[in-house]
Amino acid sequence: MVFLLGWRNLWRNPLRSLITIVGLASGYAVLMFLVSITEGMRVQMLNNGTDLLVGHVQIHHPEYLPDRDLYETLGGSEGTDWRALAERLRREPEVAASTARIHAAGLASTGESSAGVAIVGIDPVQESKVSGLQGQGSPKNLQGRGLLLGENLQQELVAGTGTEIALVTQAADGTIGNDLYRNRGTLRTGMAFLDRSLMLVHLTDLQELLSLAPERIHEITIKLRDPGQAEAFATRLNDSDILPPGAVARSWRSLLPTLSDYLDMVTASYVVMIGLVGLFAALGVLNTMLMSVFERVRELGMLSALGMRPASVVLTVVSESIALAVAGLGTGLVLGSLLVWHLSSTGLDLRSWMGEISLLETRMDPVIPVAWSWVAVWLPAVGLLLATVAASLLPALRAAFVNPVLAMRNLSKA
Amino acid sequence: MRLTTRNRSLPGILLFLFIAGSWLEPVQPSSNQASPSILQDRAREIMDRVDRMLRGESSTGTVQMKVATRRWNRSMTLRIWSEGTDKALIRILAPRKNRGTATLRVGSNMWNYLSKIERVIRVPTSMMMGAWMGSHLTNDDLVKESRLVRDYDIGISFEGEKEGVPVWEFELVPKPEAPVVWGRIVYRVRQADLLPVWARYYGEDEALKRTMSFSDYAVMGGRRIPTRMSIVPENKPGESTEMIYKDLSFDVPIAEKTFSLSNLRARR
Repeated sequence: MVFLLGWRNLWRNPLRSLITIVGLASGYAVLMFLVSITEGMRVQMLNNGTDLLVGHVQIHHPEYLPDRDLYETLGGSEGTDWRALAERLRREPEVAASTARIHAAGLASTGESSAGVAIVGIDPVQESKVSGLQGQGSPKNLQGRGLLLGENLQQELVAGTGTEIALVTQAADGTIGNDLYRNRGTLRTGMAFLDRSLMLVHLTDLQELLSLAPERIHEITIKLRDPGQAEAFATRLNDSDILPPGAVARSWRSLLPTLSDYLDMVTASYVVMIGLVGLFAALGVLNTMLMSVFERVRELGMLSALGMRPASVVLTVVSESIALAVAGLGTGLVLGSLLVWHLSSTGLDLRSWMGEISLLETRMDPVIPVAWSWVAVWLPAVGLLLATVAASLLPALRAAFVNPVLAMRNLSKA
Repeated sequence: MRLTTRNRSLPGILLFLFIAGSWLEPVQPSSNQASPSILQDRAREIMDRVDRMLRGESSTGTVQMKVATRRWNRSMTLRIWSEGTDKALIRILAPRKNRGTATLRVGSNMWNYLSKIERVIRVPTSMMMGAWMGSHLTNDDLVKESRLVRDYDIGISFEGEKEGVPVWEFELVPKPEAPVVWGRIVYRVRQADLLPVWARYYGEDEALKRTMSFSDYAVMGGRRIPTRMSIVPENKPGESTEMIYKDLSFDVPIAEKTFSLSNLRARR
């Protein structure tokens, strides 16, 4: 009954209400669009940061990070049945994929030139399910002493596909580990430091080069179905008996602390945007509602004289503003959805303004994917609705406490 | 007091490895009451003598290198050829697994030959601080030591008796633009025979990083030299690298092609 009254009151001055509705609608549509882009960028940076090599959760010897000591293998110097562990982890419902790795530093040489390299020994089949390394070489090509090189490293070493590359490193038994490998392709990560130093080889080849026993690996990397669960999952692993002694799980948030903080800041930034747009919307609504109340002072005085309680009067005015908000948000939802839907097929293409940016342990691509996300729908809606209701409170209170005598006698000077 | 020398050299690790025992005739120890200017002249004279001895020297020798780390212990037998201050070849004779593996150094360039894969690898600048063959020596140690004089200002920080032996202590401070990793090096040299006692390497933060000690002075190849040297890094307790001379001869003619890449590849 009260809400119907509010809705009807809206159409006493259709033009004024329409203008406010259009204002709210465009504000909402713009917010939906902005939040969708920001969210798209956030997800892209998160994925680029974790997809390359980091994954969502990693398991190491507790002492392994940050020095990456060759000897701090999973489960201590005896190693552990890592194949069984990786397999066991894949059975967890949260886990999409998991793979084992070995890290080493070494010297790569083609005869013409040499360079220091960060060697990662991988299990090619599982690795390709965890990390989205792009390039001409597939991790599956590593069989038979093959290796994949970072793009810039490949240029530095002047190594074409098929070039023989000598790898030299300090082995675990104190000798100089050295062996010949064949270049099977280049990797492109878009991350300057990786493209300059990354070299992938087969895990068992690297164990042989380093004189490490087959049970010894440095790292298990897990890709989750939902990155948002990383922290909870890492905690659950550490509390469970799935992990062998001498192993600890860490989420990408602690592995990539700078990125984690930055992404939180991105989320905070759209809350600020919503707040700003909400403020302007509130001012518009305040103006509309004040006008609407001023015009009706006589009528409100009459209602009051007839015995309508102030609370009901407040409710009438507030419901008018809610009607305004609903109409505005409804229109905005249609507009915003069209905008997001239109961009979701192509993404926001900024290629004419910028190239790929490698920053903060991750990479930003020039085409920002704009994806439909619920956060872009409900968060601005709630924000604008609250702003509208808050803005109507002042006019509502004004309306509730008009002096009936003065109001009926003297129109607006009540 | 400090005096600056140019184009002079000081005993260093390379000197030990390649030109050990170059301090020949004893210099008369100076009296402790010597005036600063006489002291300075004296230091210059010592430097001159050392420097003269180094030029045109050649040597060959066999060294046993023992490396002890927290994880493993290793012993290697090395054959060393050297000429002047800038040419050296080191070949591993034992253990069998690494036999034939070798390092050639000419000027500031360095190459490793790996016998297992039969490849020569040039050591890039970025790897100069890496360990040489798993020891506590860096590649840089093998290349740079002869350039101490170019990169450091050298002064006498102590002259007198220590542990009953008259010694000098030289302090080496890097020149402002010098591309070096040490903040300061202190050498102790015996006055009687100009043989080194120890060298202490300090970081830029003034903390002691490693100590090199010389001992077992004996006559070898006709010269009196410290036949044992050890390196103890401060940041790795319990770890050390020790080098002991088994035989050594001086001023033997060495064929020019010894210090060539083709010879580096030749397995012996």
